[in-house]
Amino acid sequence: MARTKDAYVPELIHPDTVDEAASELARLGKDGEAIAGATWVMLGPLYRRPTKMHYVAVGRLPELTNLAVNGESASIGAAVTFSQLADSVDPDGPLAVLNEAALGTPRAIGNVATVAGNICVHPYPAADLVPALLVLDASIDVRNGDVATTQQLAELSNASLGPGSLVTGVSANAISPRALSCHERLTVRASGEEAVASVALAVELDGGAIKSARVAFGALETRSRRCAEVEAALVGGALGDETAIAAGNLAAEALDVVGGPDAPADYKRQILPGLMKRALARLAASGKDG
Amino acid sequence: MNDAIASTLTINGREHDLDVPPFYPLAVVLREELGLTGTKTGCFEGRCGACTVSVDGQTVVSCIYPVGLAYGKSVRTVEGLAHATQPLTPLQQNFLEAGAVQCGICTPGMLMTLTDLLERVPQPSEDDVRDALAGNLCRCTGYRKIIEATLATAEAGS
Ligand code: FES
Ligand code: FES
Repeated sequence: MARTKDAYVPELIHPDTVDEAASELARLGKDGEAIAGATWVMLGPLYRRPTKMHYVAVGRLPELTNLAVNGESASIGAAVTFSQLADSVDPDGPLAVLNEAALGTPRAIGNVATVAGNICVHPYPAADLVPALLVLDASIDVRNGDVATTQQLAELSNASLGPGSLVTGVSANAISPRALSCHERLTVRASGEEAVASVALAVELDGGAIKSARVAFGALETRSRRCAEVEAALVGGALGDETAIAAGNLAAEALDVVGGPDAPADYKRQILPGLMKRALARLAASGKDG
Repeated sequence: MNDAIASTLTINGREHDLDVPPFYPLAVVLREELGLTGTKTGCFEGRCGACTVSVDGQTVVSCIYPVGLAYGKSVRTVEGLAHATQPLTPLQQNFLEAGAVQCGICTPGMLMTLTDLLERVPQPSEDDVRDALAGNLCRCTGYRKIIEATLATAEAGS
């Protein structure tokens, strides 16, 4: 980005309420967008993403910053930050996957990066919270002008979250109160990097065997998604290397993996068994029996 | 709409009225508009942490933080840790004594990040310090001296 003042011309609108924000966004349509931390907007020109002429700042709206974590479920305001999630969600509880995904970002970014920002930026395959929310069967609350709707995160597509939309909140639910979950990410450096590949995993155990499983992969396809083939293959298996390697190989076949700046697609496919091994080993080490 | 969020910024306790576009990066405002060149810039894309400052008590990378989001808020920069006529903070002093500063480009960001850590977690473990530094790159020191200086500060404060 040319660092002259002329490069920073968009208008920044500060609504006082969610109603005002929703009506501004409806009025602006495709010319406007909601922002909270604005990291993606500021990086937009660098990555050649189109910018808008009007942005509606929603990060200060109290209705959007509420966070209620209740054992196995969480109600998360759209402008809740990664740091709030990391500080509020029990790393040993059934929503652990959310805590771990939120910790993947350096704190100075996590203090401004929000849940809705992570969901809405597209394309951003490495968005860490999305796989975690997918295995928590998350739904999102959306305002379009006066109309409020709720939809499953898994069904989100560009078409269904059109111009003028405002995500107001996210609801997430663990499989069960005693579910085990984790978020495992592979990065080039040990920390502070975007994932080259990530997996969010939530399982219920029956004795030593997996009774049910939810698995979502990130940074592999253009958008994170749950993988039904891998979920089915995990059921009945133990939390061990054999199950993990089979699941990783299956994921490599089932996913339409795309390469990124840090790793080509073939490399990403090859590391999937190792990624699954790490994830299952961590669940096994968490020492619970579901 | 909130007209109270005019273009006023409190920096290190002093109010400033600004006339810059809202998406101008806070780091550039600090350095070029206000002459607060203690805040450094390296990558300008949120990856190196050199530009870390605190806004309303939360660290942010100011190279990708639009000044328009900081209006009405309180910003602390490295100049706000210890005034030129005051003694250094214990963390700054320990940086000096441990040899944690070489070229110095990363130092203001390191100090802001680690001051924040010590405020949140007064007795951090070495792992806590390493985790806190995930977003701060140093090309000179190898981090060892920075970690030592931080742990020495925590120990002296206990
Ligand atoms: S200059 Fe801001 S993070 Fe590098
Ligand atoms: S002292 Fe030179 S980059 Fe850290």
